[in-house]
Amino acid sequence: MKASKGELALALVFALLGILWIVAALRMPLWEGFVPQSGFMPLCYGVLLAALAAAVVLDLVLRSAPRAEEPVGKPLLVGAILAASIAGLYVVGFAPSVFLLLLALFAAVERLPLVRSIVVAAATTGVLFLVFKTWLGVPLP
Amino acid sequence: MEVLTQLGQGFIAAATPANLLMCLLGVVLGQVIGVLPGIGPSAAIALLLPLTYGASPTGAIIMFAGIYYGAQYGGTLTSVLINVPGESSSVMTTLDGYQMALQGRGGVALGIAAIGSFIAGTIGTLGLMLLAPPLAGVALAFGPPEYCALVLLGLTALAAVGGSVLKGLATGVAGLLLGTIGIDPQVGVPRFDFGQPWLLDGVDFIVLAVALFGVGEVLASCRMGTADPILNVGRVLPSREEWRQARMAILRGSGIGFLIGVLPAAGATIASFVAYIAEKKVAADPSRFGKGAIEGVAGPESANNAASAGAMVPMFALGVPGSNTTAVMLAALIMFGLRPGPDMFTTNANLVWAVIASMFIGNAILLVMNLPLAGMFARLLQIRYCWIYPPILAICLTGVIAHANNIEDAWLMLAFGALGWGMKRYDWSAAPMILGLVLGPIFENSLRQSLTLSHGSGAIFVTRPIAAVLLALALIAVSVPLLYKGKTPS
Repeated sequence: MKASKGELALALVFALLGILWIVAALRMPLWEGFVPQSGFMPLCYGVLLAALAAAVVLDLVLRSAPRAEEPVGKPLLVGAILAASIAGLYVVGFAPSVFLLLLALFAAVERLPLVRSIVVAAATTGVLFLVFKTWLGVPLP
Repeated sequence: MEVLTQLGQGFIAAATPANLLMCLLGVVLGQVIGVLPGIGPSAAIALLLPLTYGASPTGAIIMFAGIYYGAQYGGTLTSVLINVPGESSSVMTTLDGYQMALQGRGGVALGIAAIGSFIAGTIGTLGLMLLAPPLAGVALAFGPPEYCALVLLGLTALAAVGGSVLKGLATGVAGLLLGTIGIDPQVGVPRFDFGQPWLLDGVDFIVLAVALFGVGEVLASCRMGTADPILNVGRVLPSREEWRQARMAILRGSGIGFLIGVLPAAGATIASFVAYIAEKKVAADPSRFGKGAIEGVAGPESANNAASAGAMVPMFALGVPGSNTTAVMLAALIMFGLRPGPDMFTTNANLVWAVIASMFIGNAILLVMNLPLAGMFARLLQIRYCWIYPPILAICLTGVIAHANNIEDAWLMLAFGALGWGMKRYDWSAAPMILGLVLGPIFENSLRQSLTLSHGSGAIFVTRPIAAVLLALALIAVSVPLLYKGKTPS
């Protein structure tokens, strides 16, 4: 099989989403009189998505050319730091979480000079805080 | 005459200090975004949406339009100076633009691109001004079946122009499916909320757009290295001989670009490809192409700018996006409580004409800005992506939280961001998903209304001529690429 495992997994995510919608939609009213009810369109979308995702899988297995997979380490690390920053919003609030997100990415992931990283992280956090909290009056966590 | 009166009123609205500032901000941001790697106009507009809360919709759309056509100018710089297209619509410019830069004529390539873009942008905006109102007039006869068919056409056309029709359709349907989360607008019962009260309002399009275009793009691009630009651009004004070679290419590119831009979902990229091929076909010596032919820069650059204006014809007149970026702009219009489509020219005429007028102003600003400042913008190419993407992530996070003051939306953004990364990695188009989410409720409502009108008969979609034509076009949009693919070796 020549297809990329990552892309097959992506197609399967879409297929599972379709199946989830089919199962949930079947528990809702589908049709009454001559008008579709709450479950009808979700059922149609679920069936279509599952079918299209299956067709993509088939297409990948039968036709796709082999492709080199790019390493996933760095994107996963960046994603994990973003997740930690979101979790930090509950604990330390907006400004420290965003500052630490930026600092971690600049200094730890990219290994940029520490002082410059701190300055840029602090400046970016300050600008975001001023724009959203002070200017737009958004109640940030 | 009526068009000129309305355009005059548009100029009055666009020339207010606030709207002029938004126009300037839009074109400058667009230019910078076009130059910087890893962020396109769709992502930029999605990221800026939270900042436009409370702003006037007219000002916001003027800025977004400025970002859209400004990015076409900016994309040229990277194509010419580092041989990397800043936008997909600048791919063809690399072929001759970079060769010109290697020959010490980089400034001329940028200059002719700016002049061509200005002329094409102006011609395209004139076309938008003349074509959109009558098209909207025809579309005023639309009822629920026609709207339903129109949404289907928009989704299928957008899905069909990506790398794979199947993947495009799948993401479009996934968007429709996500659009069913929340309260059913017809009967008021909750659907697919999975017991989470914060899902009762549904998935906000800003969360999805920021996640797919912002977070997904960053995760896909964070491994990007640094560029080594040619910083000495030299003179930017073309000589008399170079202008003679380029002028017809600009006019042809403008015509080709506008016509292709008007087609739903065809967009600037296809326009620039066709314009380049056309220039090569009409050239007396086609062997010059790929070696620094000025027509190879003038044609595609004119075409991509004219297509940006053309893409706004279906967006304003029909509510169907002409490109990925107009898909996000269309969603922004809906966010502002407007209904893109034929009604826009009657119910929101001031906004539409102000945006059109601002495009004339914005193109003039871009020309003035690009000729003397090409060298300065070229220096932006030295900024490494490692300094760019962390602030982009911070803006994504802040924008999403600020939108509904809800941290759960940030988790949703992370999840969709991971999905967006996978989609970007494997060439699954994200724009149909956004469009599906935005148009899903309109599609479902018009389908239900149509079936109520027809007492449950699906024949209403084929017996009403406009609906039938739109459905036939949707079918063609899907089947032609599939058939074409079937006849070409994989």
